[in-house]
Amino acid sequence: MMENGRDVADRAIQLVARLSIDKSSQVLSKMVKTGAYIEMERAYVGDISEISTVISENYTDIVGAFIDLQGDMPCKFLFFVDAQDSMALADMLLRRPAGTTKEFNEYTISAIQEIGNVLASAISNVFSADLQIKMKPSPPEVVHDFAGTIFQEYIRTVAGAMDEIMIIESKFRVVKVDMRCNMFIVPQASIEAFFQMISKVL
Amino acid sequence: MHSDENVQIVGIADLKVAAAPAILRTNLGSCVAVCVYAAERRVGALLHVMMPAAGQAAAKASLKKTKYADTGIAEMMYKLKTAHGLEPPALTAKIFGGAKVLPDVTQNIGNENEVAVRRNLAQYGIKIIAYKTGGERGYKINFDVSTGKVVCEIFGGQPEEY
Repeated sequence: MMENGRDVADRAIQLVARLSIDKSSQVLSKMVKTGAYIEMERAYVGDISEISTVISENYTDIVGAFIDLQGDMPCKFLFFVDAQDSMALADMLLRRPAGTTKEFNEYTISAIQEIGNVLASAISNVFSADLQIKMKPSPPEVVHDFAGTIFQEYIRTVAGAMDEIMIIESKFRVVKVDMRCNMFIVPQASIEAFFQMISKVL
Repeated sequence: MHSDENVQIVGIADLKVAAAPAILRTNLGSCVAVCVYAAERRVGALLHVMMPAAGQAAAKASLKKTKYADTGIAEMMYKLKTAHGLEPPALTAKIFGGAKVLPDVTQNIGNENEVAVRRNLAQYGIKIIAYKTGGERGYKINFDVSTGKVVCEIFGGQPEEY
């Protein structure tokens, strides 16, 4: 790809990420009935070994929702949060006093499924409505495990045919309970194909 | 207790070779960790296998060999030989991982990885002296190159030494 083409694609990715994040922030704030601010940490291309090394050091107990965004531009979406925070999110969603949920159970699974689904749907809507790229989220699969294991499984699902992947990494903060959550989007198509598609629609 | 400066993190589809003192550390789900050790020389290698075989990808000039059991184990043998002069008769192996972490996935890639690793190690005549594989939970692995011992912790369980 020519240099200026790559620049356009880079800007396009930043814009897509921004649009997705703004929309997700609004939906999430409404859902948890408090301020929820989503910020894009970075969008980058990297070797799968290097990307996974950072999170492989993390042995925290987390809960993650795996979602496929199927359609014109298939992507893998991952949302995860510390297991402790998943309980606080369950209480918020169920409108129960903070601290009611004390163990990882069907309520926490359900809360993470719901939030993952809402975020993935918000992102799909941005792609469909603003960019005319049709995408539809699959039902979320929720897994409770080491952070490193969950992130590696996520990478593995997209890296079968690729050694380098493009990753959009975001974090969001729920003000009321001061928690931080993580979202990742990885296109399944090759990086060049992703750039071309995004550049075409903007 | 080991100082952090001796710890080397092994990412997905990655290979690290180290001489004592060193700790090779990784996380696993459906991937399989192949810990190969030369006791007399106190040299170890950890290969993090992501897929069973390179197949058609093997023809690519830019193949990431350490991603697959077949090309990864071959690469591991090459590195042990060129960097440390070690041949397969001097080596033993311990393998870990190969879980089915995502419950709704129909293909059991973890099991396929384990089978491929066993087959490829056998081709080099390398004996597997310990293993912990399968299940539905992630693994945390610490391979101590000074002793050859591996501490394996499965999510929700206690660390065990192999």
